[in-house]
Formats: sequence, structure tokens, C-alpha cells
Amino acid sequence: MSLLEMTALTKRFGGLTAVSNFDLRLDAGEIVGLIGPNGAGKTTAFHLIAGFHEPTSGEIRFKGASIVGFKPHAICQLGLARTFQIVQPFAGLTVTENVMVGAFNRERDAAAARRLATEIVDFVGLSPRRDMPARSLTLSDRKRLEMARGLATRPELLLLDEAMSGLNPTEIDGIIGLIRLIHARGISLLIIEHVMQAIMALSHRLVVLHHGEKLAEGTPSEVARDRRVIEAYLGEEP
Amino acid sequence: MAALIALPPLLPKYHLEVLISVVFWAYLGIAWNLLGGYAGQFSFGHAAFFGIGAYTSTLLLLQAGLTPWVGMFVGGGLAATFGLFEGYLSFRYGLKGPYFSLVTLAFAEMLRVVSLNTKAVGSSLGLVVPSATAAPAMFMFSGKLPFYYVILAMGALALGLTWRIGRARLGFSLAAVRENEDAAEAAGVDALAAKLRAMALSSFLTALGGTFYAQYFAYIDPTITFGPSVSIGALLPAIVGGAGTVLGPVLGSFVLTPLSELTRYALRGRAGADIMLYGAVLVLVISFLPQGLVGFVRARRGGAR
Repeated sequence: MSLLEMTALTKRFGGLTAVSNFDLRLDAGEIVGLIGPNGAGKTTAFHLIAGFHEPTSGEIRFKGASIVGFKPHAICQLGLARTFQIVQPFAGLTVTENVMVGAFNRERDAAAARRLATEIVDFVGLSPRRDMPARSLTLSDRKRLEMARGLATRPELLLLDEAMSGLNPTEIDGIIGLIRLIHARGISLLIIEHVMQAIMALSHRLVVLHHGEKLAEGTPSEVARDRRVIEAYLGEEP
Repeated sequence: MAALIALPPLLPKYHLEVLISVVFWAYLGIAWNLLGGYAGQFSFGHAAFFGIGAYTSTLLLLQAGLTPWVGMFVGGGLAATFGLFEGYLSFRYGLKGPYFSLVTLAFAEMLRVVSLNTKAVGSSLGLVVPSATAAPAMFMFSGKLPFYYVILAMGALALGLTWRIGRARLGFSLAAVRENEDAAEAAGVDALAAKLRAMALSSFLTALGGTFYAQYFAYIDPTITFGPSVSIGALLPAIVGGAGTVLGPVLGSFVLTPLSELTRYALRGRAGADIMLYGAVLVLVISFLPQGLVGFVRARRGGAR
């Protein structure tokens, strides 16, 4: 049984088909990269999985059960957490308090939630900033905070939406290291990323979306050689 | 706190009345703050709950002889039910910010107009609450002092409740919803449920304040209880003091209520001038202290929040 399984997933916004007939399977323990040019429908696919949009048609199963029509918080409580492409910290709360919001899904008691949050803040490398308001963090730290908030909900699958965009090479290396640590904890990942060397290095399997449809799927090296993928990214040869 | 308990018996009557007023508006501010401050859902129509509380306990007293001590909780329950109805309609359809404020204002105005035109609840003549004899079991006292201790106890309990919520899961859920609802949902917060809880608690507490008002002033009418002045009076202490903080509404009321008394006294005889001055002071406070007094103090202390 796959951890996440989408079949014939389609989302239309009026006349625009953002995601069309999309199949994707992710097994427990996998890191799957979702790539594609801008506007390919990657973020829409994330919104569909996490319950922020309802699919026009198709099926999404998590741990074997359909999650279509579930609200985002319910999906999160099942063990499927996400981060946002545009980071969305609770700006007025401290780093620890941000993470506690997630931790309360697993710990009813405030002291226990704070312990779990402190542990996660430490894990993502934010302990020096734990009592600072989230609004004062750098972009790189905000990306870490997004992950920490997701991790505090104790997910089995974490969706990362461009966790590295806008970061410098050193910061990118830091995030790659963090994603490896997250995976080592036994958490499966589905990652949208434009930073190619990162997603090539991290992913066990790549899925390429183009105009809302699956263009190619395979190991990073297979996909990198795929003629259709090269054309989608660079345009056709004259 | 000790001074608030020990000193009032020594105060002259007028000062005691001002102090009751201070604590009363602080109490309504605390109740409003749960929804408007913590949950960030800016109600402009808390008079609806206030009026439901005042009318429920008073009608039960007049028609059935039920003591307001019990009637206030019936009113609280009714107000909470009405609040849940209002909240569900608004939140279910994603109304936020000013749209939510307008819905709450509309519901309060609707109740005001309905009660103005309903003979069974006294229409525009209002209802007179019996107050000639002291009967503590019926929430009737001789003199102001017992009323002071009643509202002080209500304020202290509401404050304690706010403090506990702020440190518990609900407080974190509300703060998350206030800051960013999508991110809150993504972090497993049931935003609708959290907002409805805040709505129920806030409207329940506000209704108890309505009963207190009815017993203390011994008279209610639709314009007083369902009118905008109660809605504004409930939100101002919280906003001026610091919305979403435990002590904000208390601080706000201790500044605002005497200020409104002072301006009324200083400008007596010139109808409306005191309200204009009061309004000008409010504009200044909101322009220069957008985080409220508590936020200002925290910033001066250099605290993280």
C-alpha cells in the first residue's frame, strides 16, 4: 500500500485546467521531487493534497483512505503536513509559540506541547532564536520555522513547497542537510523545488508536471536525459 | 488588587459609581477581547449579546419571578447560542475583517429594532426592574457597594478565564487563526471550531454583563441595551488597552472611563462637546499607540512581545 496515492486528479478553475488527469504514488520512506516550469500546476497539486482546494475530479488516498473533501486541519491531524512556498509564520508569536501551535495536535497539555516544540526548534537549528518573534527572522530561518511547525504535528508525510527559493548557496546547503535529517527520522517527503542540484541530489524519484499534466517520471538521471523534459524547460530545438 | 477590594467602602458615592463603571466596562472589554482580541474577529455588535442577557434575566424575573442569579445564566446560554448562530453563518461562508464586523452590527441592530416594536418586551418604553427593596437572593441590593463587589468578582473570574485560555491549546489556536488562518489550518488548527468557541465564550460573558446592568440601573430599553454605544463601549477598552492581551481591557477601562467622566464634567452644559473631545483623544491614542497601552509598555521595556 502506498502512503500517498493520487489517481486521475483534475482541478479546473473556470476555463483553466490547472491539474489534469494526474497520477502520483509515493511509498513510505520515499523522497519524491515534483518539478516543472512555472505555472505547471505543482502548487495547485499541493493545495489539492493538503485540502486547500477540492479536486474537480479524481481521487487522493492517504494511508489507503480517501482524503478528498477533508479540511486542511483534518488532513494535518492524519499525519500529512505541508509548508508554504511563501512563508506564512504567525508573525506576532515567538518561534517556540509558532511551533507549539503544531505541537498541540499531539500533546494536549501546554507544558508537554512546549517540550515537543522546544525539541523540534532545536532539531531545525533555531534554538538561538526560540524566544524571538517570528517577524524578526531572516528568510532562511522562516523557511526552517515553516518546517518546524509542520514537523511538530508529527507527520508521516511532509510536503515542502520551495523550501529553498530565495536562499543563497550556503543556506541551501543547510536546508538540504535538514531535509536529510528529516528523512532520517522516518518521514517521507514530497518536494516542490526549482533549485535543480538540490532536488536531483535529494529525490529518489522525480515527477515532472507540464501544463498540469504529468510529462515524465523516473529517477533523477532518467528524467534529466528525457527529451520532452528538456524541451519543456528549454524550448524545442529549432 | 488589594486596593480594589479594601478601598471602595471608604469612597464617596460619586467616586464609587465611577469605579463601578470602570470595572463594568473593563468586564465587557474582557469579554469582547476573547473574540476580538485573541481570535482577531472584530465584533461591532456585542450589544446583541448584552441585550439578550439583560432582557432574558429581566423578563424571567418579571414574568416568572425567577431570580436573576439564575436568569443571567439562562441569558448567557441564549446569547451563546445566538453567538454560535451568528458565528457559524459568518465563518462558514468565510466572512472576515470588516464583513464580519458588519454582520455583527446588523444582528445587533436587528434585535434593537425587533425589541423596539415588540410590546411583550416593553417596546420603546423598556422594562423597569424592581429595586425598591434589598433582596440579595434576587440580585437586588441597597446601596452601590454590593454591586461593586459583584462586578469586581465577575471581572476577576473573566480575567482568570482569559489568562487560562491564553496559556492553553485554545489560546494558541486563536492566536494562530488571528495571525494567519491558512497557516493555522495547515498546522492542524480547526479554525472554524476555534472561532466558534471564542464566539460562544465571549457572547456568554457579555450577556452576564447585561444582567448586571439591568439589576444595577434597574431599567433597560432597546436603545440602551441593543444600541451601538454598548458595542463600542465593549471594544474600546480592549483596543485602547491592548487587544489580545490579558490586562489590556482592564488598563483601557481604567484610562477611558474616568476620561469620559472628566470630559463630561469639564464640558457640562455643552451637549455633545464631551463626546467630541473624547473622540479626539481616542483618535490620538489609536494613531500613536496602535498596539494599545500594553503594547506600548512592552515596547518601552524592550520585551520580545
